[in-house]
Amino acid sequence: MARIGVFVCWCGSNIAGTVDVEKVREEAAKIPGVVSALDYKYMCSDPGQNSLRNIIKEKNLTGIVLAACSPHMHENTFRKAAAKEGLNPYFVEIANIREQVSWVHEDKERATAKAVDLMKMMVEKVKRDRPIEDVRVPLNKKALVIGGGISGIQAALDIANGGVEVLLVEKEPSIGGRMIQLDETFPTLDCSSCIMTPKMVEANQHPNIKLYTYSEVEDISGYIGNFKIKIKKKARSVVEKDCTGCGECWNACPMHKNVKSEFNVNLSERTAIYVPFPQAVPLVPVLDRSVCLHYKKGGKCQKCFDACGPKCIDFSLQDEIIEETVGAIVASTGYDLMDTSMYGEYGYGKYKDVISGLQFERLLSASGPTEGVIKRPSDGKTPQTIVFVQCVGSRDPEKGVPYCSKVCCMYTAKHAKLFAHKVHGSQSYVFYIDIRSTSKGYEEFVRGTMEQDGAIYLRGRVSKIYEDEGKLIVKGADTLSGNQVEIAADMVVLATGVIPKKGSDKLAQMLGISYDKYGFFTESHPKLRPAESSTAGIFLAGMAQGPRDIPESVVSGSAAASKILGLFSKNEYEVEGTIANVNEATCVACFYCQRVCAYNAISKKEIKDRSGKLIKVVANVNPGLCTGCGACVNACFSKSIDVKGFMDDQIYAEIKALAV
Amino acid sequence: MEDKDVRKENHTDSKIAGDGSADPRIIAFVCNWCTYSGADLAGTSRMKYSDNVRVIKLPCTGRIDPLFIVEAFKKGAKGVLVSGCHPGDCHYTSGNYHSRRKYATFRDLLGYLGVDLDRVEFSWVSASEGNKWVSIINEFTDKIKSLPGKSTDIFTKK
Amino acid sequence: MANTKIDEKLQKIAKDLLESGEVSLIIGYAKGSNPQRMRPVFITKAEEAGKLSFSHYAVQDLAVFLKKPEVKKFGKIGIVVKGCDEKAVNALIQEYQISRDNIKIIGIECNGVIRQNLADKGETGVSESTVYDKCLICEEHIPVLYDFLIESEEPKLALSGNVKPYYGIEKLESMSAEEKNAFWAKEFDKCIKCYACRQACPLCYCSRCIVEKNMPQWIDTNSEETGNAQWNLIRAYHLSGRCIGCGECERACPVNIPLMLINEKMAKDVYNLFGYKSGLDINAKPVFGVFSESDFNDFIK
Repeated sequence: MARIGVFVCWCGSNIAGTVDVEKVREEAAKIPGVVSALDYKYMCSDPGQNSLRNIIKEKNLTGIVLAACSPHMHENTFRKAAAKEGLNPYFVEIANIREQVSWVHEDKERATAKAVDLMKMMVEKVKRDRPIEDVRVPLNKKALVIGGGISGIQAALDIANGGVEVLLVEKEPSIGGRMIQLDETFPTLDCSSCIMTPKMVEANQHPNIKLYTYSEVEDISGYIGNFKIKIKKKARSVVEKDCTGCGECWNACPMHKNVKSEFNVNLSERTAIYVPFPQAVPLVPVLDRSVCLHYKKGGKCQKCFDACGPKCIDFSLQDEIIEETVGAIVASTGYDLMDTSMYGEYGYGKYKDVISGLQFERLLSASGPTEGVIKRPSDGKTPQTIVFVQCVGSRDPEKGVPYCSKVCCMYTAKHAKLFAHKVHGSQSYVFYIDIRSTSKGYEEFVRGTMEQDGAIYLRGRVSKIYEDEGKLIVKGADTLSGNQVEIAADMVVLATGVIPKKGSDKLAQMLGISYDKYGFFTESHPKLRPAESSTAGIFLAGMAQGPRDIPESVVSGSAAASKILGLFSKNEYEVEGTIANVNEATCVACFYCQRVCAYNAISKKEIKDRSGKLIKVVANVNPGLCTGCGACVNACFSKSIDVKGFMDDQIYAEIKALAV
Repeated sequence: MEDKDVRKENHTDSKIAGDGSADPRIIAFVCNWCTYSGADLAGTSRMKYSDNVRVIKLPCTGRIDPLFIVEAFKKGAKGVLVSGCHPGDCHYTSGNYHSRRKYATFRDLLGYLGVDLDRVEFSWVSASEGNKWVSIINEFTDKIKSLPGKSTDIFTKK
Repeated sequence: MANTKIDEKLQKIAKDLLESGEVSLIIGYAKGSNPQRMRPVFITKAEEAGKLSFSHYAVQDLAVFLKKPEVKKFGKIGIVVKGCDEKAVNALIQEYQISRDNIKIIGIECNGVIRQNLADKGETGVSESTVYDKCLICEEHIPVLYDFLIESEEPKLALSGNVKPYYGIEKLESMSAEEKNAFWAKEFDKCIKCYACRQACPLCYCSRCIVEKNMPQWIDTNSEETGNAQWNLIRAYHLSGRCIGCGECERACPVNIPLMLINEKMAKDVYNLFGYKSGLDINAKPVFGVFSESDFNDFIK
């Protein structure tokens, strides 16, 4: 039998001024099941809470209702007070008679009637409360970082420095990501490899970081605190621990033509056994079996093997699957450039001297194919005139993507600036739509490119590029002067838009995190939870979330790391017990609940008899993932799933309490 | 009729419990994160609005079952409001989207079966829209009051 | 009877399937004791395949049996379906109630089935005025999915356009709320809560229906106005976006409530709102399992 206590708070005159609190108390006392009704000046004060605790004890209450201020104010206060007397804290319900009665109504009689109604609803609700235990999930204090670009490295280093073991998985043979491909970085023009290489080395040497390069995450199951992961370490054909990185192997490789260097964005060739760039971490080559003559010609060629001093080349190495358990994950898989082939009018791919921004970075880089001298891919001549075209693919809902790629305005300004620095007397033209330079020092940087370095900015789009007598003729509009312009350029650099890394949607599906229609991972909340994915225990960093620059990527890596360190500062992850619960007896396994769950919290569970024979399949709620939103409840036709704390019969009881 | 009278006796405030259009009962099902907070904001801002509404709080619009609307009508509500976070703002990312589909369909069904659709209202009210909450409640109450006294539906006894 | 060639094909397929062990049960039609009716038949032995038959009296949607535990225990099942019924099979696959691997679909091209009340009176010809409304709007005379297809030997159903299928929907839509209310109050007043509509529906497969749940009492169980209305509303709501329009609920209703006027209206609205038709694609996500950010929002303030 329910033994309910009702406590009506005056909140000084805040409530009592408009609501007849004594009347509310009197009405409460009449309700069957209510054994105590009291009104008091300030329920939240120490004496108020003490009287609440005393009455819980004295009257052996099974539930309490506070007719007081909003539950968003003091629900926790009263839950804690109740818990101190051994009452399950979820047996506390609040009738909001301040924010939603006394402060918004004036007629005392009518306000009192409403307060009585709200109190009654909560009495009926609390009668149907069931004890709820908060869920505790043990944590495996090890983290996985997927993607070894700047944001992933930053996250890994921060976590590792916090004393937690990290697995850093990178698909490419070296960590470093896109940033290590860049030359100098805006707005300070410090060289990317100078600031990036030390971080890569630090990550490699950190005692808490285990590096898996040339590896991919193949499978993930489980949930926060307990993710089971499988990492596929692709066969490198080189025994890492013995390799000294001396380079004899790649010097000996006969395959030095026809294989384009991915790192140099197809502007140079690489061998079959190769390191992508000289500062690669680890400095251990990878044998590309798809082009290696040893594999293509039945084992005949083994020049690298013969050249290798420590004999660490092993053609028989196989892919390896490594299984690990981690408690939290950072997804920082980065970006690709858009395919600009749909812009036929720009001639990318057709004209050798129409290149992407990333290719221009490689031309600028001292470790690039031209050792930092800007040369045209077609004839190796140094260009005197370059046209930069911004928003190629970005902000173009028709042919590209509607969003802004964010970094192009700045890197184009940087390109024009570096071009002016490197080729004296040269001229650059920049076609732009708007210039977006909103971070610290950015606007000044762009101004400098225009004013000191003489880049001519033209507001308008390029309509056509074609070749004529060794020149690229760029036709476009200058919308500010209203003129059509035609520029004879030696080279054209397209500021190509960014898109999520190829395969990131597959990874998102594997992780059970949500992603937008472009494939960028979506945050749990765009403003308040920007580092969290929709799935507990999985955090996001870098360009995989959307376009951002280096400082923002670093910040996001650190943010993800600090979230993980915070999570791991306790031994268990605690979640409110107000989560979904399946009635297995009546569940018919249609799995609409699973379809609507935004948290991947519902899985299939097989119920077997003693002999192991499958009886039925039912939905199963993972308490570590469920947030108690209740979308599954609405999706369920047979009403076989419910959310604790907001059960269907409680809502019906509330409605009934209002019956006219 | 007898049945109803007994219920009235139990119900203490017969003034509010009237079934006429003069003083209609309105039940609002709202989500915890946006609309409930928006209603609280109206309170902390001391805005005034019609006192016919009774709020039932749920975690998310995704939890507000269309069948609650039917139950509310059955128990004598003249108007039912469902309100939650704006599209894109759902605390649980997609609860409001899933429900929007269901409400759109369910609303059609209610209308087709003869329920006066003026009696069901849906709104998005964010935690910062105390003023929107006030105007939604006031306008909805006025609308309900303007309906014929014996507005029909198939869920109440004739 | 006319369709002997079709029957032969049907029997051959069934015999082969059972003999090879590909299925252990075939659900099909057999001639009834009354020549104007066909009855369901359950064949487990190849030598019984000769009982199978098909004609324009084969009204029932046999997919309804797929939810029965007695049928499920057979594991691999073959089923004879018309285009409309086959959509129920697809919807059941979409909702994980059966597995595509466990079912052999014997599809029959159908040009319409004769209304049972007319057939009982001796009607023998398929025409615009003798078939069900669902046949007049049918777009799946050939089932959308099948393992075997038996083509029809009858002429295609000729439509003059003079017969308006589900005309009642248009009429109801143009009524005022009061008129609609009066119409449905009268219809639902007849309801005796026998739940035959539910039993006949291939997609009402819950092991315990919401009407049998009493925590809370979702629906008044007594058969009076409010409980009847609630039941009929919830039934229609649960089938919105799922109903494939076989019409079995209406046919089963002993008091002739025009349930298809509700089902078809909801199917129409769901299609208009979300561009979704139920049961056309086993790989499609059910309409209420997904959402679009740009879904219809006009009704929300």
